Amino acid sequence: MKANVAPSLDPLSGTQSPGAKTAELAIDDATMRHRLTQYLCAEAGSPVEVETFERRSTGFSWITYSFTARDQSGQKRKLILRVGPTNGLFAPYSVLPQVYALQSMENSRVPVPRLVSYSQQGANIGFPFFISEHVAGDVAAPWLGSGATEQHRRGIVLQFLDILAELHTIDWQHLPLRELLVKIPAGERTERAPLTAWRALVSRPLIRYYPLLDWAGLWLHENCPTPPRMTIVHGDYRVGNFLEENGNITAILDWELTHVGDPHEDLGWALVPTFNGGSRKLYGVMERSEVIDRYQNKSGITLSPRSLAYYEAFALYQMAAIQICGIHAFEVAGFDDMRMAAMSTQMASIVRALDKAIEVVA
Amino acid sequence: MSQSFDLLIDGMIETIRSRILPQLGDDFVRGQAYGIIYALSGLKLSADWSIAPLRSQIALQDKAFAEFVRLGAELDHPDVPCGPRVLPSAPESAELERLRNDGDRKLGELLMWTSGPGAAADPERAKAIQATLRHIIRDQLKIDISIMAKPMFHELATGEESGSAQSRG
Repeated sequence: MKANVAPSLDPLSGTQSPGAKTAELAIDDATMRHRLTQYLCAEAGSPVEVETFERRSTGFSWITYSFTARDQSGQKRKLILRVGPTNGLFAPYSVLPQVYALQSMENSRVPVPRLVSYSQQGANIGFPFFISEHVAGDVAAPWLGSGATEQHRRGIVLQFLDILAELHTIDWQHLPLRELLVKIPAGERTERAPLTAWRALVSRPLIRYYPLLDWAGLWLHENCPTPPRMTIVHGDYRVGNFLEENGNITAILDWELTHVGDPHEDLGWALVPTFNGGSRKLYGVMERSEVIDRYQNKSGITLSPRSLAYYEAFALYQMAAIQICGIHAFEVAGFDDMRMAAMSTQMASIVRALDKAIEVVA
Repeated sequence: MSQSFDLLIDGMIETIRSRILPQLGDDFVRGQAYGIIYALSGLKLSADWSIAPLRSQIALQDKAFAEFVRLGAELDHPDVPCGPRVLPSAPESAELERLRNDGDRKLGELLMWTSGPGAAADPERAKAIQATLRHIIRDQLKIDISIMAKPMFHELATGEESGSAQSRG
């Protein structure tokens, strides 16, 4: 770990200049490996060796490492470590939504990696983290369109929808995920809680203010539909957040935004063209009408066209809010990650699409 | 020098210094990186944000304010800037950026007013004002979009060049 550098404030803007970095926030892989070894030894009460250790993604939020641990008896386990860094896009992080999700799904037909260990306080690692079993498979790239055949993608999309239907019909009230409801402020409509959280992030002062985005938040707040039922919502259910191997989805990943809410929310997010290679078809192969039919048949939940349109607008608001988090991280928090600055360049097109989407609902 | 341009250049230089240079072992490659830092520092001093898009955006905002005053003439509404806010003697980009950003905040205030209790006296007229403001703001966003680079989400998220459709799980 590098030494902490005191942040300096720009007296004119009140923002922190990019030159003033909290350098301690940079996660060094060798340090992380060392800390992981210490943690595993402490947990096992005997020597554990981390034989392989590799950072698996350069994503915008949680950092993922793949590693092999060998215990005293020589037994090896291939595992995944996910760490919520202090300077991540949605920091400060809680590991609990992911922990509750993996625990809740363990005996369901929603495939997830099995949870091995976790710590919200960070234990030896220094950041909130969890360890899960490794699941074989590849992640489809959502932004480019897929090189896979149409037939292959159709097969994946059918599973993708069937798993979503399964997720939305789980009786969550007796599962660990019910704990997430405790965090919703009294008087708030449960299905509106994610919007409220995003609005709080959007309202933070930045150099550039987007009037339509601010107003859209108010409009979405006032026009939030009543859900057909309250279900588990993955919160980031899309191409790119599952593993597939030999034509089968082997695990649904990235549960950090999971909550209880309106099932339309997951469908609205999954259908955003950005996650489907720019296509309005799911994974570039399935028309919306077919998506709706398949989902309704499998889940028994009747979808409302207005609610789906509302949650497609909400999805764009959420995308804009995520960009705002990137801009905030760069402009205000002073993180030297140029990807955060690069994100801001897409704001105009997202906000414009959002306003058009609201017109469709209204 | 505009605030955003300044921040962007400083951010690029700092990223090369703190994130890229420590990973480079080859002296020649390190020299290249320092060359880029030097060039960026020079750019920061000599280049400036293009003022034409800012001027166009401010003109659109002025149009929105004028329309607001016309449509909301008999309503009790927030104060609105009147007349062209940019004088022919062209101010520098920092001043234009400030005017554009102030104009956006005022437009936000007016949009919120159309959805709030203040507009309840004449909901139909408020709705018409809202539609007009949204239309003009969308035109303003078009100017941003016209100077926007192609998205690189894949490269930013994976660190891989476009072309490989799958990443490791």
